[in-house]
Amino acid sequence: MALLQIAEPGQSAKPHQRKLAVGIDLGTTHSLVATVRSSNAETLPNSAGEHLLPSVVRYRLDELPQVGAKALAHVVDDAPNTIMSVKRLMGRGLEDVKRLGENTPYVFESCDNGMPMLRTAAGLKSPVQVSADILRVLAQRGEASLGGELVGAVITVPAYFDDAQRQATKDAAQLAGIQVLRLLNEPTAAAVAYGLDSEQQGTIAVFDLGGGTFDISVLRMHQGVFEVLATGGDSALGGDDFDHAIASWVCAQRGIDSLDIKQQRFLLRQARAAKECLSQLAVANLSFAGWPGASCPLDIELSRAQLNELLDPVIAKTLRATKKTLRDAGLSVAEVGEVVMVGGSTRALRVQEKVGELFGKAPLTSIDPDRVVALGAARQADVLVGNQAGEEMLLLDVLPLSLGLETMGGLVEKVIDRNTPIPVARAQDFTTYQDGQTAMAIHVLQGERDLVQSCRSLSRFELRGIPPMAAGAAKIRVTFQVDADGLLEVSARELTSGVAASVQVKPSYGLSEDQIAEMIKASWSNVEEDRSARSLREQQVEADRLLEAIAAAMQADAERLLNEAEQQLVVTQMEALIAARNGDDHHAIAKQIEVLSKATDEFAARRMDDSIKKALAGQAVEDL
Amino acid sequence: MDLTLDYFSNLALPRGYDVDLSSLAEHHRQLQQQYHPDRFAAASAAEQRVAVQIASYLNQAYAVLRSPLRRAIYLLELEGLDPLAPTNTSMPMDFLLQQMTLRESMEELADSADPQAAIDDLADELQAMHGQLQKAFAQAYAGDDFTAAEVVARKLQFIDKLQQELNDLEGRLLD
Repeated sequence: MALLQIAEPGQSAKPHQRKLAVGIDLGTTHSLVATVRSSNAETLPNSAGEHLLPSVVRYRLDELPQVGAKALAHVVDDAPNTIMSVKRLMGRGLEDVKRLGENTPYVFESCDNGMPMLRTAAGLKSPVQVSADILRVLAQRGEASLGGELVGAVITVPAYFDDAQRQATKDAAQLAGIQVLRLLNEPTAAAVAYGLDSEQQGTIAVFDLGGGTFDISVLRMHQGVFEVLATGGDSALGGDDFDHAIASWVCAQRGIDSLDIKQQRFLLRQARAAKECLSQLAVANLSFAGWPGASCPLDIELSRAQLNELLDPVIAKTLRATKKTLRDAGLSVAEVGEVVMVGGSTRALRVQEKVGELFGKAPLTSIDPDRVVALGAARQADVLVGNQAGEEMLLLDVLPLSLGLETMGGLVEKVIDRNTPIPVARAQDFTTYQDGQTAMAIHVLQGERDLVQSCRSLSRFELRGIPPMAAGAAKIRVTFQVDADGLLEVSARELTSGVAASVQVKPSYGLSEDQIAEMIKASWSNVEEDRSARSLREQQVEADRLLEAIAAAMQADAERLLNEAEQQLVVTQMEALIAARNGDDHHAIAKQIEVLSKATDEFAARRMDDSIKKALAGQAVEDL
Repeated sequence: MDLTLDYFSNLALPRGYDVDLSSLAEHHRQLQQQYHPDRFAAASAAEQRVAVQIASYLNQAYAVLRSPLRRAIYLLELEGLDPLAPTNTSMPMDFLLQQMTLRESMEELADSADPQAAIDDLADELQAMHGQLQKAFAQAYAGDDFTAAEVVARKLQFIDKLQQELNDLEGRLLD
């Protein structure tokens, strides 16, 4: 006779029952939710059988927001209340949003923390709230399909998302009541979907070209471990650029000089349709039927050869970014085993052809490029909640953009380089600049450039209560800790006194995707400019140091140790250095630093003698 | 795992300059499998914090032990030495002269008829020097001649820096 089983309190009565977890791809244009059932990953449809949820939310007075296709239907007639592409606003400040200069119909207001708020019929909404409304619908879909409460979700983010954008995404999930098991980089998720389905081993490149963004990641797969070697991208690139190239060509062919907004929208829509059509056919007809203008131009034929010519300049940019990322990974194209295609824009045949040419092998396109990210996220969610006991899948990702601190003269000292595996902890020691300095401002930045103003400011905080010491005597250790989600925590401690301060980096805004791409690009093209700017700042700091030291010495001992002519000489040379320091020629500053140092050598020697004499005199007194 | 122990102990490798890179990678992978925060997704916040610390330590240890330069410096640091201290700058004259020559050839690369070939040649030359220095370090370290090992470590750093600069230069030229 079987004994009755009594479960421990808190323990599941059915030990083999699977925990319910989902993967969510929170996309710019559409979002998906997926889960693993009977060891198959699958995306979950709504009751109408639709898998893709348009990432659109419409707010109404005294009614629940509409999300998805229902909201999408009102994009034109209720534009200010119908929010599209909110992902572009995540982790950004109002200033950033204004700087984007995007043609959005939304009314923005700022709130105290600098976060942009959208004014809608249902009140002010932050981008985090809008994203939360999308996530809530996906979570509900997951619970309805799976028939129970979710333990948690893995949510994907673009690999190049910075700390602020990641944090905003996590905040949105929390707002939606979703337990975030992990933030996962989109290309890594795609690699998981491919890797587990085909049991790949070796090195793969994930080429992720969406509507407006491009991500490239290189991973090594070995015994269930997915190790990201390098990640990069260019977010000013995507399928939208293809559409614009086609539209420009059509205008040139038909002698159209100017377009109003409606005509532009019309033409872009037709261009996209023709582009998609050419993935199947050799020639597409671009129709002007319904043209919103006085004289309707003649329809035009677009051949695949012509399309290729138009796409090539855009594709060339993605290939350059790909080569750079391979360099960062320390790999040649020949060493890449497989290339995986992700994102709707990789459906363009020319993209597949050119990527295949670069790598010398046909890219993998067997998994739907729109769904592959959500499928990979579902796999990881399943592992994280413990449904895959025994299996050993593990994802080791990297930091997409360098993290650093501001140092004297507006320079950035990198503390953690991009492409460093996470989690990572790194400490860097700094010291005080002035005698008796009791506080230090810690300014955390993210980006590849040398100058503070060219990087994204993540957070500022102050370490106070440093005991007064001579300049350079205090030792301030700043520790950066980046967790497995790519989120940063910074702490600072003065080592001689133990005074400490820490902050979880939680800014109200973050880097724009474009800015990140821009920054990475700029760090290459502006190396020369940066270098001379850096030299200038360094010389200026050096000049200030010297001037301060000499001024202090003059005040203390000039009367006693220098005659009037000698004093005058030092003052003249100091004035010359001040003049040089305020100029922009670092060579001139360096030269005058040398002149002033020489001019004060004798003074320094006399002060040295003087203090030795004093010290000896003191000793003599004590000895007596 | 005791994070106060040195990297070699925790990664189960004999302390020394010659490291079996495949064992290193394998041990690192096994330990990450065990301690990575993903293995503690359902654990308490405190356990998750510890997992993040251990995984960070392992990543750092792996990066240090994998790099011939960082491994050399680390071994000397374990001996209580600081080969890269700002005060520790004396270098043999012939080495400095060689550095200047290498730098000059790097500056001339961009103007050469075939920059890619010139870059490849210089990269090969630097790699050969790097390899020789690694051998010299292993020998000095094995013979407990830490003074000689320190000088070699500093030389390695010079060459490493040149390699990085050459790599950056190549990236810019390809662009």
